[in-house]
Amino acid sequence: MGHIILEARDIRYRYPRGPEAIRGMSFHVRKGEKVSLVGPNGAGKSTLLLMFNGMIRPDSGTILIDNAPMRYDRASLRTIRKRVGFVMQNPDRQIISPTVFQDVAFGPTNLGFSDHEVKDAVENALRLVGLSGFDRRPPHQLSGGEKKRVAIAGVLAMDPDILVFDEPTSGLDPSGSEDIMELLDELNQQGKTVIISTHDIELAYPWADRAILLLNGKILQEDVPDVAFGDPELVRKARLSMPTLLELYCELERRGFALPERKPRTVLDMINVMDRAFRNKPCYTEPGSITLFDVDAPSEVDLHAWRASNQEVPIGGMGTRAKQYASDMLISLDFTYGVIDKCILKALLGEDSLILITGSMVKRVHDRVEEFCRENRVTIQVTMLTPASNSGESRP
Amino acid sequence: MYEELLEDIAQTNGLREVNTYTKLAAGLGGILLCLLSATCVAPLFIAIALSLALLILARIDVKTYVKIFVAPVIFAVFSVSVIILLAGGETVFWSWQPLSWLSLSFTREGINEGIFVFSRILGGTSALLFIALTTPMTDLFAVMRRARFPEEVLDLAMIIYRTIFLIMSHLVLVYRAQVMRLGYRTIRESVHSYAMLCGAVFIASWESGEDLVRAMESRCYDGKFAVLGEGGPVSLRSAFTVLCFLMISGILVATTRHITFL
Repeated sequence: MGHIILEARDIRYRYPRGPEAIRGMSFHVRKGEKVSLVGPNGAGKSTLLLMFNGMIRPDSGTILIDNAPMRYDRASLRTIRKRVGFVMQNPDRQIISPTVFQDVAFGPTNLGFSDHEVKDAVENALRLVGLSGFDRRPPHQLSGGEKKRVAIAGVLAMDPDILVFDEPTSGLDPSGSEDIMELLDELNQQGKTVIISTHDIELAYPWADRAILLLNGKILQEDVPDVAFGDPELVRKARLSMPTLLELYCELERRGFALPERKPRTVLDMINVMDRAFRNKPCYTEPGSITLFDVDAPSEVDLHAWRASNQEVPIGGMGTRAKQYASDMLISLDFTYGVIDKCILKALLGEDSLILITGSMVKRVHDRVEEFCRENRVTIQVTMLTPASNSGESRP
Repeated sequence: MYEELLEDIAQTNGLREVNTYTKLAAGLGGILLCLLSATCVAPLFIAIALSLALLILARIDVKTYVKIFVAPVIFAVFSVSVIILLAGGETVFWSWQPLSWLSLSFTREGINEGIFVFSRILGGTSALLFIALTTPMTDLFAVMRRARFPEEVLDLAMIIYRTIFLIMSHLVLVYRAQVMRLGYRTIRESVHSYAMLCGAVFIASWESGEDLVRAMESRCYDGKFAVLGEGGPVSLRSAFTVLCFLMISGILVATTRHITFL
């Protein structure tokens, strides 16, 4: 874990003529962390988030960025807002300009970038969120998910270190929500610290490194998700519900099954827990393998030929550019969210799978699979798709 | 309230990617030539040519186009009939004097004048619609910037453009909510509901104004507004087509100065 990048020390805030919204909070966020603030409506989530980029100044207490107390003069605020990107809940409220290009270019232009730099920043940001070619479209013609992506691109174009999202998945359909969470993961993978507020526990539970439960302007609990969400009493108090997987785990535990220490965060973890409890071995047959195809690396591999000789192999997409690539190549993806886990699940059943992947995510797959193999003493092959394995002689 | 907006059509029309200046040249040139022309021939040619361009090249739906066109035409029919009845002339076909100061008549000169004015309206309307339906506002902003419009005016215009759609969608939402609860059943209720609608939308736009300031602040607003780069370059083919169209219209204007209908 990195150094402390954002810290709050006993902050308090009262809205004019209103109740006290933040009633003494202290916590810190480390660089590269994924933190989710969870709490019911009116817990003070949005107010707290608005303090991170200086939109609201606490009545007392301090917010520190990189261990320096936040200052509220114009020049300092400018620096802070460049470092801390804030994405509002309602993209319609955040998108200001008549076209996508102009809106994404808004931040860079005001930061004084040259025309050329602005153009680069916009292109880059739009590519990251998977909206290349939307430059000239007016925002009112976009779908909810696309608008959200424009709003995110507008913030990414300023290249902040910390990304703050207020309810990133509100108003999106399940698949759209998963896409956004996947995008947040990808951004985190590139080194950004990501803080979100949400009351969708099922999404926050597997995603976050750390969860902070808020209630009535105070911190109720702050811990890794399985501890934070694992106490039925606290969860009920915060007017939330326990994640299904965690509840299932607790019920199994109560029935006296010997379960591994680590609580399950994904379906893969859960399957693993059950296999351990009932059969005490994770794998049914010889495990299958996972093949990666890096869409960013130049390669002579003929993907279509590979698919022709491996027709039943399911394909997953990880990263916005990989998904873009798949839709350009007219490849329909079988998984777009939680891809690594789904591929490991397949491998445990003895099936192979292919992942189209963005370059920056390759390491993540290796890490996750290795960790899983180590814990469960199985071997799952992860290989890059190379011209040699292309000739149809892939493993059975 | 649920109608398709001209702007939406313009954003998706078949000539969307053609250079803005080329399209403006065709439209503005058409209007100018309609005004210069002394007879009905050139304006009618312009009306037909641009309408066909809209229907075939820009792939505007015929029904929509007719619907948009009907309003100015109805207006034109009324004003042209007044012109015909009131304009005097030498060759009188029919006349009637109901009051001592009012005489109505059909004269050759009057009818010619009426047809001329009517054709000008048709030509001018189709030229204007050509611009409106093929060139979205977002492209015009770039042209306005090029034409040295004051920055303040332009920035305001762009924010207004964006806000119009937000307020409109809010308007539709509130209106629907009212209709669903029978808000417009009687005249009395309609007046009441309408007032509420106005109030609700006013408050909403006030709030969205505050949000706008917040959104701009949080992205380091410093008095600058990004400009959309201009669209595709002038293509030879479209430029040549427009040039041909303007030349033919120009020749018609020059050669048909003395032709009259009657």
